[in-house]
Formats: sequence, structure tokens, C-alpha cells
Amino acid sequence: MKKNTIIKIAWKHLLSRKRQTIVALLGVTFGNAIFIFQGGLMTGFQQLFIEQTINTSAHIRLYNEAKTQRQSILSKTERYSNSWLVVHNQKPKEESPKIKNARGIVKWLENQPEIEGVSPSLAAQVIFKNGISQVSARVVGTDIVKENLLFNVEKYNLQGSITKLQTIPNGIILGEGLANLLNVQVNDNILVTSAANVALEMKVVAINKTGITELDKSRAYINTRNAQKLLMVDNDYITDIPIRLKNIDDAENFARLLEKKFELRALDWKEANANIFSVFRIQNMVTYLIITTILIVSGFGIFNILMMIIYEKLPDIAILKAIGYKNQDIVRIFLLESVFIGVTGGILGLVVGFLMQKIVGSIKMNVKGFVTLEYLQFNSSVSFYLFAFFFALLVTAIAGYIPARKASKTDPIEILRAK
Amino acid sequence: MQIPILKTVHLNKIYHGAVEFHALKNIHLNIQPGEFISVVGASGSGKSTLLYVLSTMDTDYQGEIYFDGQLLRNKNANQLAELRNENIGFVFQFHYLLPEFTVLENVMLPALKLGKYSEEQIRLHALEKLNLLGLDKIAEKKANTLSGGQQQRVAIARALINQPKIIMGDEPTGNLDSKNASAVYEIFRLLNQQFQQTFLIVTHDMEFANKTDRTVFLKDGEIINDQSNQPRSS
Repeated sequence: MKKNTIIKIAWKHLLSRKRQTIVALLGVTFGNAIFIFQGGLMTGFQQLFIEQTINTSAHIRLYNEAKTQRQSILSKTERYSNSWLVVHNQKPKEESPKIKNARGIVKWLENQPEIEGVSPSLAAQVIFKNGISQVSARVVGTDIVKENLLFNVEKYNLQGSITKLQTIPNGIILGEGLANLLNVQVNDNILVTSAANVALEMKVVAINKTGITELDKSRAYINTRNAQKLLMVDNDYITDIPIRLKNIDDAENFARLLEKKFELRALDWKEANANIFSVFRIQNMVTYLIITTILIVSGFGIFNILMMIIYEKLPDIAILKAIGYKNQDIVRIFLLESVFIGVTGGILGLVVGFLMQKIVGSIKMNVKGFVTLEYLQFNSSVSFYLFAFFFALLVTAIAGYIPARKASKTDPIEILRAK
Repeated sequence: MQIPILKTVHLNKIYHGAVEFHALKNIHLNIQPGEFISVVGASGSGKSTLLYVLSTMDTDYQGEIYFDGQLLRNKNANQLAELRNENIGFVFQFHYLLPEFTVLENVMLPALKLGKYSEEQIRLHALEKLNLLGLDKIAEKKANTLSGGQQQRVAIARALINQPKIIMGDEPTGNLDSKNASAVYEIFRLLNQQFQQTFLIVTHDMEFANKTDRTVFLKDGEIINDQSNQPRSS
């Protein structure tokens, strides 16, 4: 009953200032729509990137890291307190990137419960030639069946068939960007030359496209034996053990464990993409700063209309207090008004933001950058919408609370006293 | 002896402005149930100040006030609001009706706040009060469409709705013509006679004051005279 009265009073106040109420409401709508659109675009893109990265690359990459800093052998000798040790032009020690006992490690890894699979491979820096086109890239020598199980090569296949890598002895799978640079199609031949000066004529069996531009421009798959041939090494030669985990959140801890156990470098996916994640962080900061600013501006709109209503309704506030309404009742009335504006504007904002996402998301954009996309991807998860809604509500509640408190503090005597 | 509705002991009020101003000086006042009292005095005599101190809205005073035997100083703002809601009806110089609400809704407001009865019962009580004041025809009208006299009568109905122990008025006829002013007096008198309703009315209208049962004269914050008036010859 009492609540009804308060709601009714709040409602009548808003109706008495229809135009300003609508303007304040549209302010929240606009702010929230921008939140959904802009924030959705940003996080949607980031999610897509992370998803693609997780799907197409190793969760942990195990390899032998070339140590750049090497202590001079002299430093291992006995030191004298009053002597200098100077070695100029120290050359890096010849260290093979080969993983020792790769088979044993793979076998051990395959028995771990956390691991979904491993795909031992070796990578070689090569030059592709097709006529006068020359492109430097990385070829990965691998068992394509294992690789596919781990990294969805098949899913991102554009043309041709990836399994031909097993049947055609000199087959190669190119990334789309690489194929374009070389101007080749499926079944064309290209010349692959390695740093060891081995040249192999290879046939393009498939072209794939992950959407991550950098990867598509620089990666090619061949079978392990061919890669070993290119590097002129024995058939135990493995430089990389990409690992796919059942739960990607284990990556960091598991990587540290592997590093200790095998004395190899274990690079987890977060570490490998650290620079991109830091870009994301800055991007998010800027985006949310702008969105917050817009919402705060709409908060000012609410503040403004409430101050206007309160000024106009001072006599009402005074009489309500005189007849026994408490300070918190008065706060409730005006808080309710701002919450009404916040909720209605917020919901409208979600709808408008959703429509903006759908409309812009249906326009063909052909984005080429970090990732290659035909259509913009938006984050349209329920939790994101809820977050936007409650954030708008919080801003409006704060914007409403300040005038509401002021209203409750009015001294009724000043107003009611006969003049 | 009945418990007085209001009793003040050494009541003093000092305004601490740029210059200190002693607005109420050592007021001793007893108001018994059923009394119809007026407080008069020149402007600045402290009569309004006294009313607002007694109304519980002004808590900045020295000395003690007992409302129906309870010491007011021990109560916090919320308790005082509850006390006003239940026990004090107010009629001011202006009606202070909520303009967007109907007459009936305005009258119901204090009772809805009290929450002692159901909304339906409150509606019936409100209609009863409006009927008593001859306002039942305009119950569904918006408050801001009424004439000044009607609005003041609605305000009286609102003051009555919770059957308060006392009705306080601050120049309730100050904004009315003589016809409406005497109508307000007649209503007060009727309520006083029929229901022993207690009234404490601050006014500068001597004609009105003379018709009340007891008049308290204030000058410079002091009670200079407290007299019973001649019973009316009506």
C-alpha cells in the first residue's frame, strides 16, 4: 500500500515532465546502445581471435630454445679477486634445435590425462618459388592426420584435400595468403628451397584459411619426411612438439611442469600471444572509457531532470514530510524515478544495440587486418548484455541518488511556514 | 486529571544566525484534550516558531516537550515522522495538495502511509471525511482544479484522516476571503464539538482567535497573556 503510493507519486512526477523524461530516457538508451554495439564489436572480435588462435595453434609448444646468452668458458675457471676476464667476439655455440629423445617425450605426453593430443613436427624456414614469385615462409613438417585432429586443418580448408599430403609424396598445403602471393592454385607445382640448399619440387594439394592473416600468409604443411629431407637431417629429427590440452586453462601450469621435466622451452598460448593480449587490454580500456563517459553524460541528463522535478515539487516534498513520510520515503520516490528512466532506457538501449549489431553484422565488410573476415563479428552473449544493462542501471542509480538525497534533506518548515 | 496532549517545560529557542535571536523564551504551555486554542501575536513574535517546534518538525530547541506524555527529545527523526503521521493533522496557509492527484487520493495519503487499514477501508474513511466537509461531490476531481476554499477544506479532510490527537494550523485562514475563512472556523468548531477534536491554531486574524476557546498571546517570544474566551453566544 505504502509502496504503491510512492510508486504513484514517482510516476506522476515523471508524467508532469514528459518531454524531459523522454530526453533523459533516450540518453540512457543511446549510451546503452553504444555500449552494446561498440563493446560488442570489440569483445566479439577479440573472442573470435582467441577462439581461432586456440583452435588453430598449439596450446603449448615444446621446443629447444637457442640460448643467446652463453657464459664464457673462462668464467667457469677459478676467479681471482684482482683479475679481469675479457672475451671478445664470442660466437654462439652450435646448438641443434633438435629435441633429444623426441619419441620418448611424445610417448610420455600421450599418456597424460590432461592432454588431448600431440603432433610432433619440425619447422623449416624456406623460400617458395613459382616462376618469378619468391616468398619466404615457414613450412611445418608433420603427420597431417594428427595435425588435423589437433588443429582443425580440415575445418579451415578452402580448396583441395588435406589427406592427399599422405598419398602424394611431394604434396604441400598452403595458407591462402601464401597461395595468393605465389599465384598458385591446387595442383600447381612450386619449388621449395631450404637454408640447407635442398630444393624440392612440390605439388599444392590444398589451400587453407584460418582467418588469422599472419598465419595464412606464412604457413605451409608438408609431411615430416620431406621436411627432414629439406633440412638434410635424420628421421628422428623433431624440433617442435605442439600439444593440445583438454582444458586450455591448464596451459600455463602444465607448461611450467614440462619445462622442469624435459628442460625444454614450453610456450603456452597466452604467453605466445602476450603482445596481442596487451593490445586487447589497451583497446578495452579505451573502449570502456568512452562508453563509460557516454553513460555518465546520460547520467547527467537524469540528474538534471530530477533536480528540475525536485525544485518544482518542493511543496509536495514538504507536505509529505509534514504528514509523516520519512526521509527514506522521499529518497525512494526520486530514486524510483531515476531507476524507471534507467531500466526503460536500458532495455530500449539493449534492443537498439542488438538491432545495430544485427544490421551492421549483416553488411559484407571484407575486413583484412589481424584477422580476415567477411562480416563483422559481435559479442552477443547474454552475460555481455546483462553487464551492459546493470552498468547503465548503476550509473542511473548514482545519478538519481544524489538529487534524491538532496530532496530528502529539504527542511519542510522553510516551505510550509506562512509568509 | 487528563494527560495533556502537549506540555512544554522551559521551552526556549535561539536562532544562531549572524545575530543570535532568542525566538522563544521560557514557554510553559499545557494543551488538554478537546481544547480549541489559538496563538496570536505580531509577526516576529514567535508564534509560528512555537507551532513548528510543537509540530516535531523543528527539533532545534532547549527545554522539554511532552506529546501525550512522551518526551519528544528521546525520539529520532523517523520516530517523530511516525508520531506526526499518526497523531498530528496539519492545515497550513496554503493547501499543499499534490496537484496531479485527485481529492480523494490526497485525503488518503497520510492513511496510506500509516498503513493501519486496507486501501479499501481508507477509501471509505476518506469519503466519510469528505462527506462531513461537504466535498463528496468533488472526490474524483484533480486537486488543482478546485477553488481556494475547496482546496483548504480538502486539506482539512487530509488532516483528519488518521484521527489525530491534535490538529495544528498555521494561518489556516490567511489565504482565504472572509466567507471561506468563517467556513473554515465553522468546520473546526463542528469537529471540536462533535468529536472533541483538539486544535492549536496560529493566526493573526483576531476575529478568528476571539471565537476560539482559549487564546495565547505571544510577544517577543514570551507568553504575555493566556486567556479563556467568552463562550460563544450561539
